[in-house]
Amino acid sequence: MKCVILAAGEGKRMHPLTYTRPKVMLPVGNKPILEWNLLNAINAGIKEFIFVVSYKSEMVRNYFENGEKWDVKIEYLNQGQPLGTGHAIGITEKFVDNFIVLCGDTIFGSEDIKNIAKKQNSIGLVEIENPQEYGIVKLKENNVVEIYEKMTEPFSNTINAGIYHFNKSIFSYIKKTQKSPRGEYEITDSINMMAANTKINGVSLKQWRDVVYPWHLLDANEEILKKINKKMDGTVEKNTSIKGKIIIGKNTTIMNGAYIEGPVVIGENCKIGPNCYIRPYTSIGNNCHIGNACEIKNSIIMDNSNIPHQNYIGDSVIGQNCNLGSGCKVANLRLNKKNIKAILNGKKIDTKRRKLGTVIGDDVQTGVNSMLNTGSMIGNNVFIGPGALTKGEIQPNSKIM
Amino acid sequence: MCGIIGYNGFRDANKVLIDGLKRLEYRGYDSSGISVIDKKQQIFKEVGEIKELEKNLPDFKGSIGVSHTRWSTHGAVTKANAHPHLSTNKKIAVVHNGIIENFQKLRENLTKKGYKFLSNTDSEVLAHLIEDNYKGNLQKAIFNALKKVEGYYAIVVTSTDEPDKIVGARKDSPLVVGVGDNENFLASDITAFLKYTNRVIYLEDKELCVITKKDITIYDENYKTVDKEINLIDWDISDAEKSGFAHFMLKEIYDQPDTVNNVLRGRVSEVDQYIEFAEKVEKELKPDLDSIHIIACGTSFYSGLVAKYMIEKIADIPVSVELSSEYRYFGTKKENSLVIAITQSGETLDTLAALKEAKNSGCQTLAITNVIGSTVTRLADAYILTQSGPEIGVAATKTFTSQIIILFLVALKLAIKKGTITSDELYNYILNVKELPKQIRQVLEKSDEIEKIAETLKHAHSVFFIGRGINYPIALEGALKLKEISYIHAEGFAAGELKHGPFALLTKETPVIAIATKDFTYDKILANIGEVKARGPQVIAIADETDTEIEKHADFVLRYPTNQTILTSIPITVTLQLLAYHVANLRGCSIDKPRNLAKSVTVE
Amino acid sequence: MIDKAVILAAGEGTRLWPFTETMPKVMLPVANKPMLEYVFDAVKKSGIEEIVVVVGYKKEVIMEYFKDYKGIKITYVEQDKQLGTSHALLQAKKHIKNFFLVLSGDNIIDQQSISNLIKDKSEYSMLIKEHPHPSKYGVVHIEKNTLKRIVEKPEEETGKFISTGIYKLPKTVFEKIQELNNQGVFDLTSVIQLLIKQEKNINTITADSWMDIVYPWDLIYVNEALIHNTSESINGIIEKGVTIKGPVLVGPDTKIYAGSYIVGPVVIGQGCEIGPNTCIFPSTAIGDNSVVSPFCEIRNSVIMNNVHIGSNSSINHSIIGRGNTIVNNFTSISGKATIEIEGEFKKLKGIGTMIGEDCTIGSNVVTEPGVIIGRKCNIDSIKRITKNITSNSKVM
Repeated sequence: MKCVILAAGEGKRMHPLTYTRPKVMLPVGNKPILEWNLLNAINAGIKEFIFVVSYKSEMVRNYFENGEKWDVKIEYLNQGQPLGTGHAIGITEKFVDNFIVLCGDTIFGSEDIKNIAKKQNSIGLVEIENPQEYGIVKLKENNVVEIYEKMTEPFSNTINAGIYHFNKSIFSYIKKTQKSPRGEYEITDSINMMAANTKINGVSLKQWRDVVYPWHLLDANEEILKKINKKMDGTVEKNTSIKGKIIIGKNTTIMNGAYIEGPVVIGENCKIGPNCYIRPYTSIGNNCHIGNACEIKNSIIMDNSNIPHQNYIGDSVIGQNCNLGSGCKVANLRLNKKNIKAILNGKKIDTKRRKLGTVIGDDVQTGVNSMLNTGSMIGNNVFIGPGALTKGEIQPNSKIM
Repeated sequence: MCGIIGYNGFRDANKVLIDGLKRLEYRGYDSSGISVIDKKQQIFKEVGEIKELEKNLPDFKGSIGVSHTRWSTHGAVTKANAHPHLSTNKKIAVVHNGIIENFQKLRENLTKKGYKFLSNTDSEVLAHLIEDNYKGNLQKAIFNALKKVEGYYAIVVTSTDEPDKIVGARKDSPLVVGVGDNENFLASDITAFLKYTNRVIYLEDKELCVITKKDITIYDENYKTVDKEINLIDWDISDAEKSGFAHFMLKEIYDQPDTVNNVLRGRVSEVDQYIEFAEKVEKELKPDLDSIHIIACGTSFYSGLVAKYMIEKIADIPVSVELSSEYRYFGTKKENSLVIAITQSGETLDTLAALKEAKNSGCQTLAITNVIGSTVTRLADAYILTQSGPEIGVAATKTFTSQIIILFLVALKLAIKKGTITSDELYNYILNVKELPKQIRQVLEKSDEIEKIAETLKHAHSVFFIGRGINYPIALEGALKLKEISYIHAEGFAAGELKHGPFALLTKETPVIAIATKDFTYDKILANIGEVKARGPQVIAIADETDTEIEKHADFVLRYPTNQTILTSIPITVTLQLLAYHVANLRGCSIDKPRNLAKSVTVE
Repeated sequence: MIDKAVILAAGEGTRLWPFTETMPKVMLPVANKPMLEYVFDAVKKSGIEEIVVVVGYKKEVIMEYFKDYKGIKITYVEQDKQLGTSHALLQAKKHIKNFFLVLSGDNIIDQQSISNLIKDKSEYSMLIKEHPHPSKYGVVHIEKNTLKRIVEKPEEETGKFISTGIYKLPKTVFEKIQELNNQGVFDLTSVIQLLIKQEKNINTITADSWMDIVYPWDLIYVNEALIHNTSESINGIIEKGVTIKGPVLVGPDTKIYAGSYIVGPVVIGQGCEIGPNTCIFPSTAIGDNSVVSPFCEIRNSVIMNNVHIGSNSSINHSIIGRGNTIVNNFTSISGKATIEIEGEFKKLKGIGTMIGEDCTIGSNVVTEPGVIIGRKCNIDSIKRITKNITSNSKVM
């Protein structure tokens, strides 16, 4: 059975991180979200994949190539235009018979994928607390009757999880589907038409992690790090303290005086320390340097970034090729302890988190003693001068002095 | 310039090819065509914009095909001449960009062998020549055929005998390969397929490539396969089309020194002192015309109003200018009068309908348009082309100035025939009109200065433009440019008309732009500026560069180079275009595609 | 195999004042084509597949002109500030994979020399050229074809060979450029000096033909040298009684009136009117849409686009910029002159006048040899111009 993974989206709500990469290539636990899905699907016994790509497709292609590295076959189709999930699935018609579809930007568990694969015409369902933003599913004896998109007063907490098992018949419904008010062909509209004629099974999922906004990456990261096993490939110098489960990549050196509390993942060719404190649920990519007197907590640091001296980073996401100046600090808690609000694409959003530091795009440099306030969203290629204070949303290529 | 695309993949070829043609529309469009292999060669052609092709296109089922958009500078625009061309056995379809220099000879030879030609293009020769060389392998046939061809070309070919492949080849005309997933592309320009893939292979001269859904094979000029590098495109394509300008509109404003030169070239002689049009046009410009009626819409209507002043002053023939949508139902259609229809696209429905009415009433008709082969060129008794090249920005700029200059030449021609002009006057007019490209350049250099003044307008609630005489329609056009791209309410008025009503609207928040030319109305316009200022608004004056008086009257002054009043309308127009552009840009508006507007309006 | 060339075309060329006030230096016309087109042509013919052009000053003029240049791939990168040649080259870094050529858009080079450079096997190589006045260039010292020393503008003449500024380099050179740029050194010669210091072998190859355009009058010399390649082609209308000798190119829509006498090599653009009874002598280029009125004589001069030359004018060894209006009886006297440019004094023989664009020149104006007139000047009738005139001046 083939598995189609939808990986075309840009993910505007993931700015500033998606200015330079597609949403599915965002890393959690040092692997792109898409790779977690690939690994889980492989675990569920799937060997053939079709990735539907578009936005910055070369990044997906260069990373996964033809799938040899995972011992599977990966083919690519370019969606061309962002015309919705229905359109994305529609273009696979000539390449599939009986197949699974999953949204590449949501992490699914392998057991759930296996269950879906067993049942013809099925949809993964999950119950969540705030279903307003999702497709609410009306069920009758475990069969799907209809999916309602984005209800303000939902009648149920059961939503469409974004994983499906279809056969060829779905394509005839996709062809009949009209554009939705937001100008896209929605697969849920096609499913609703299909549900009128065919039995569609609802399959409850055990595991489901949707990432919409940048701070959701921290939740996904935490969930993945909870399950890691200890693996130490690098060099650990004397007088370091390592507690809990941690993964250290090849050629990475943990230097004297480093204190690491797992779960923590550190990539290859990193220099950690001397004298630094890395706290739980932190992922550090390849070729990073965490220097003297730095504290990092519950954060994602992507490849080639340096946190070199006297820095505090908490509850933050830092893109690739960033360099923080000495003494640059991140604030992650409001003094009045209220929920942190962030501004994203000009809209103020309640992050529902009491602790959130900053989200920084790629190629950002900060000056000595600069201060990044709670919920700062900093675009790629931004230059923050010495002693500067940043807050709110900063557009890419800006200079803050 | 023409544009070609070939597609071989899994999507509906129809859709991919039409999408691609639209991206290539900047290379010109007067006719276009498409062929898709659906067991046999399904072929469809249309004259006009790509939209026309799309509207009537039958639902071909197939995922392999070729298409072409044509912008002819010579030769007739007909469906038969549009590409693709089919071979005599109807199996091979060819699209071509370039010129086959020895096509006459090839055509004679092929005709002798029994091949049947349906068009009179050079390109069709290729289709029959490939059939003639076909011995079971398409690429070999094309390779052999091209050896007999002199000239330059980029071609893309399909054949129903080998329905799994497309073959492309080039020499001195552009052709690139787009490398997709389970699909591949060939096109004149990357923009045609960029949304499906950003991986490209550049073909060299005399290379030939064979494209299946999965594979790409490239042959060199000795028919040896060659390995080529795949390039990743990361630049913004539309930037390249705009030659580094921020918007098409700005590029088109800056095109004007060249487009004006194009209009004058071959039509005006300084030495012989004559104005020359095509024979058919000359026939329409009769000296004993009773009257001239100009019909047009939008910006073209304003160029008609400018022409009224020119023709009446120079050639002494009464002119009426009417909106096409009104003229059609209410206009006077008299015998021995000439109806001049002005339409940039040549497809404006209102103008076409009005023109038909005029023709039916026995009027002589002349069209002025930018698009060769457009409907209006077939409808009118004669036509003059503005030769401005494709205009992409919705707000008309370079075609407006070209229309005015053509109408000025029409006025001169009529005056020569009627004898209402002395040879000295004519010589001066010719010398002065030839100064215009230089004067436009001088205005363009003031862009920064104009931008500063645009700052003062960007928060205005309303802006009024005033002028007298020939500058009244220029004021109308200035107001139209500002409102259509910046969404600021703007109106143009004849300066003397302000006191009869519009005065009521003047406040501190309504800046007024006054065109003050140094002619016999100069004192009057100064008085008008005084009246305006007394009521609160800031006044921006557009004034002659030699004017030393104006500073005392206006808050800001923008200067244009001195010329005869009748011709200063051109540099003034360019000033107002830049002003509108900068205001819209400062306000962050979508300049090339303003809301609710389309480039050519083909509905009533 | 080398398939990419970087062409530096960002500079303004202030020493070419007044002609560079509105267009970049590389777009100045030589035999009616921008000099950059000659560089493109030579590079294309030698087998280069992609040109990366570093643009900056008035980049739109370049991008608009080369839009559809003969199908070769052209990529533009922008140098915001014209700091120096190596900084300009650095802007092209991301488009370079391995070896590449660097050329300057304002030096005209022959195709064979480029091919020789491409064929050369060494890691670093450069084109050099013997020059009669080496002191204004980088003088090279070589041993067995290997570069040992390069001295910028030496005060004493120490060698005859100079650097043409045309190199074949590996991608690794960008690291050195970055290193020097970080220290505030932005020229390419310093990078080469650094390479020598690090004992890299830089092979030198002698160029066949290389021409540099630095001063306005260089346009006349280079025009004269290249116009010889003109092949005869008449596209316009030639009236009866016109004499045409030697290679003369006449563009479409151009009209040559009776009694005119043209001796090639001469290039005339499109939409011009020449004559009646006008003489045009060798090595003259006349741009598009220009008018040369009756009884004029033009010799070894560059007349750009949209120029109007009134009757009975005599123009020798001169440059008339775009958009000039010359009323009539204009005479440019040619002869010896000493010209001051940016504080340096240059001695020239047989030079006429150089007039920037958009001037208006009254009747019976006479210019002394070597006079440079700025852009948009207004000169009244019966004036004798004896010294340079700044742009936007009025001579009453």
